[in-house]
Amino acid sequence: MTEDRISRTLSRIADVRPGESRTALLLFLYFFLITFPAYIVKPVKVSLFFVSFSDRFLPLPYLLTALLIGFVVGLNLKLLRTLPRRRFISLSIAFFIAGFLLFWLLWVVLKVNWNGLSLIYWFWSDAFIATSVTQFWIAVNDVLHPHQAKRLVGFFVSGGLLGGLGGALLAWNLARAIGTENLLLFCPAVLVLTLIVVNLVYADRSAEDDRGAAANSGRGLAGSFEGFHIVRKNRYLLLMAGMLGAGAVVGNLIELQFNTILRWQFPSPDPRTAFLGSFFAALLLISYLVQLFGTGRILRRFGVRAGLIVAPVLLLAGAASIFLFTTASLIVWAVLVKGTDKGLENSLSQSARELLYLPVPADIKYKAKMFLDMFLNKFSTALGALLFFLFYAVLHVGLASISIITIVFLVLWLLLVRLIFGEYLGVVKKDLERRWEDGEKVVAERMDVDSARLVFDTLQSRERSSVLYAMNLFDLVRKDKLTPELREVLAGKNGELRARSMDSLLDVGGESFFAGMEDVLADEEFGTQIKEVLELEAYRNVMGEHLEKAAGEGRESEVERMEAAKLLGMMTPEPRVIRQLDRLLRDPSPDVLNYALESAARLKLKELIPLIVRQLGNPLTCQVARDALAAYGGRILGVLARNLEDPKQDISVRRALPEVLARMGTQRAADALVAELVNGHEEIDPEIIEALYRIRSGTPGVVFKEKRIVPAILTQVRMGFTALLESRPGEAPGSRLAFRIKRVFDLLSLIYPSEDIVKAYQNICRGTRKSIDYSLELLDNVVRKDIKEFLLPLIEDLPPEERIRRCRKLYKALEKKGRDPDLKGGPAFR
Amino acid sequence: MIIKTRDKGEVVIFDIEGEIRRSDLSETTLHELVKDRLESGTRNILFNFEKVEFIDSFGVGEILASYISTHNLGGKFKLARISKKLYLVFQVTMLTKVLEIFDNEESALQSFLTPR
Repeated sequence: MTEDRISRTLSRIADVRPGESRTALLLFLYFFLITFPAYIVKPVKVSLFFVSFSDRFLPLPYLLTALLIGFVVGLNLKLLRTLPRRRFISLSIAFFIAGFLLFWLLWVVLKVNWNGLSLIYWFWSDAFIATSVTQFWIAVNDVLHPHQAKRLVGFFVSGGLLGGLGGALLAWNLARAIGTENLLLFCPAVLVLTLIVVNLVYADRSAEDDRGAAANSGRGLAGSFEGFHIVRKNRYLLLMAGMLGAGAVVGNLIELQFNTILRWQFPSPDPRTAFLGSFFAALLLISYLVQLFGTGRILRRFGVRAGLIVAPVLLLAGAASIFLFTTASLIVWAVLVKGTDKGLENSLSQSARELLYLPVPADIKYKAKMFLDMFLNKFSTALGALLFFLFYAVLHVGLASISIITIVFLVLWLLLVRLIFGEYLGVVKKDLERRWEDGEKVVAERMDVDSARLVFDTLQSRERSSVLYAMNLFDLVRKDKLTPELREVLAGKNGELRARSMDSLLDVGGESFFAGMEDVLADEEFGTQIKEVLELEAYRNVMGEHLEKAAGEGRESEVERMEAAKLLGMMTPEPRVIRQLDRLLRDPSPDVLNYALESAARLKLKELIPLIVRQLGNPLTCQVARDALAAYGGRILGVLARNLEDPKQDISVRRALPEVLARMGTQRAADALVAELVNGHEEIDPEIIEALYRIRSGTPGVVFKEKRIVPAILTQVRMGFTALLESRPGEAPGSRLAFRIKRVFDLLSLIYPSEDIVKAYQNICRGTRKSIDYSLELLDNVVRKDIKEFLLPLIEDLPPEERIRRCRKLYKALEKKGRDPDLKGGPAFR
Repeated sequence: MIIKTRDKGEVVIFDIEGEIRRSDLSETTLHELVKDRLESGTRNILFNFEKVEFIDSFGVGEILASYISTHNLGGKFKLARISKKLYLVFQVTMLTKVLEIFDNEESALQSFLTPR
């Protein structure tokens, strides 16, 4: 079968993408091959233990494992540090092959009848299972990226469950026929195959990579307990340790109750082995079905938190129910509760727990994971065993009452799940940083745009009219913007300028034009004099006539109209001034309009608003018109909102209005914009969304109602699908899509923590592989599921064909959802 | 004002000739042209000012709007070959604090290769 066919086949059962099929298949097989012997080993160890010991001694092997497993951990860490990964795992498997053969030889061939052998075998089995499972996850981390691993974890766990099923079925069917001890012979045979698969998994990795991984995993390792120190100092890992520990205590108490009841029910070893085999087979089958049809869906739909909480909640109900069963029917209780515990442990809980490692940096993950999986797990198991020994064997508490201790640990488990989830998001967020600041913020922080524009206008006016130049200079002085550097430029004193024989804009005939005028203008007394002159009645009468002429029907030159427009802004707003400004706001010249709009902004007269609004439609005056309207402030919000929602209004005008409202930055301005967004006029959506984003970043206190924003988000997602599916010929498929995605994130920032959303967006656009993973993880956990199920396929790293296939399907689903008038969360989107 | 565009790798160069001023506008504004290129996937914009004589407040607005639109999409916006006279005014108005300005096209293009 070609890689392509394998890939297509695998993609039907798991989220395996082209190029990944070989690795995914090998890792699936690897997990299958280590769980197969594990589920032969498990029933054998319990069965053979009860041949030598009574149920009162059952906690003993658990304690022995807890005590000695530290040496196995230490050895593993040492080998992990010193050996290339492939050799480390291969040697370890070879070692276990030899061990299984030895035990079989002692029991079956040499007929050794020493009680301690079953105890040693118990420990050996635990060491094998813990080592091989940990090595498997290390291999997954070695060959896959975190987000790949997250996607494929369900697939691998399915492989493990199938392997376990095979081993358990074998124990069930052959225990009575060949005897419990002979089952051991199957383990080395399967492990030989594992050896081959491991070498194929690492075949594509160079020796350098292997050595690098080995060095990395061991770097800075002071001893076998470094994992413990790392966990102790890291709150997140400490909470994880607590949660895993509580879970392990619960699991062990349930297991001890189960095994005790099993001894009562099956006194002979082979039927006991067969029952355990059948139990494990049924358990794994159910687990497999949960894994196949439940785990991925639950994790995708409800997230990691749900994946972590299902097990303790069900076990709480199970543990409490023991008092409802009679002694004869206790085996039913034991099967149900242990079935629930192990069933979820092998599927949903394991997948969810593995996801918790995602935000942990790789260098500490190996060490912490080794400690948590092997050492802490066994320690907690020992704690469970000690409690069981104390209450059951020493204090002779009834087996049912042990469940009360279980309940205490279950409550602790639930509490820690709650704590760890809050921490999980915190760790993910901490690793995300802003890649850039908002452009508007950069500009606002680094320069004064209004003054810069005035400087350019001043320089330009010098070329056209000394009156305009003087008035602009006067403006600069009043705004305290006539800096020494600017004076040098205006006076042409700068050596650089002189050397270059400047043209008329900056210099006239090598001499400063109006030399010294800037100093006069800067004089405070001069400013007062100007103000007094402007207020003189005689001046107003004389100037009024001049302005009437300049602004009137006769039409003076453009420059004179510009001067008139500028001067009107300095005068008292009396009827004549308003009339003249009204006329100039209708002037055909954009330069005249520019000055007239600036004057209107100063006088803030209500009568002029319609004329200013009209200028929003003119690209040459739009910028100044926006400034003018913004200068009026919130009192004209109603007028602006009416113009925004008026379908008869010029579309260019409507497009320019959101920015004016954004500058107001108030709750009312935001409400007006949201109202228009909900009304739905696609052609002004981009400007409205941009404005809402600006309000959100500038005024965090403004509140946005989720039910009004969600439909707008889904509308943008749907348009994103359209952009992707209808890419123009020759156009990069993602280009128009990028704008849609930006708008989706701008809207998300209105209803979720803005900074988190911005960071996620920026890292998805320009981040590293790791930061993209974290961003997706953050969104996966923060964004509500009816948005993320549509959004994530647009932004995840998918092969183009796969993205198109998924988006086409989701587009149809979204279309259908859009027609639903009862759409939860607000009005149906467009 | 005459505007021509050239593609150099992942950078789109806008060769501008004349004055960027309110009274000298071509059919489409400079910012609109930049937005069009951003919409078609471009993220690196370079304005070549070799033949720009002067700009007015409208031109300043166009340049800053182009900078903001590019920057907000994670792109880079730069200027090259600006006259010393204009550069001085850019300095006085602190536009140089926002805009990256290069003496020549080659060094500007090279700068797009370095991470943000």
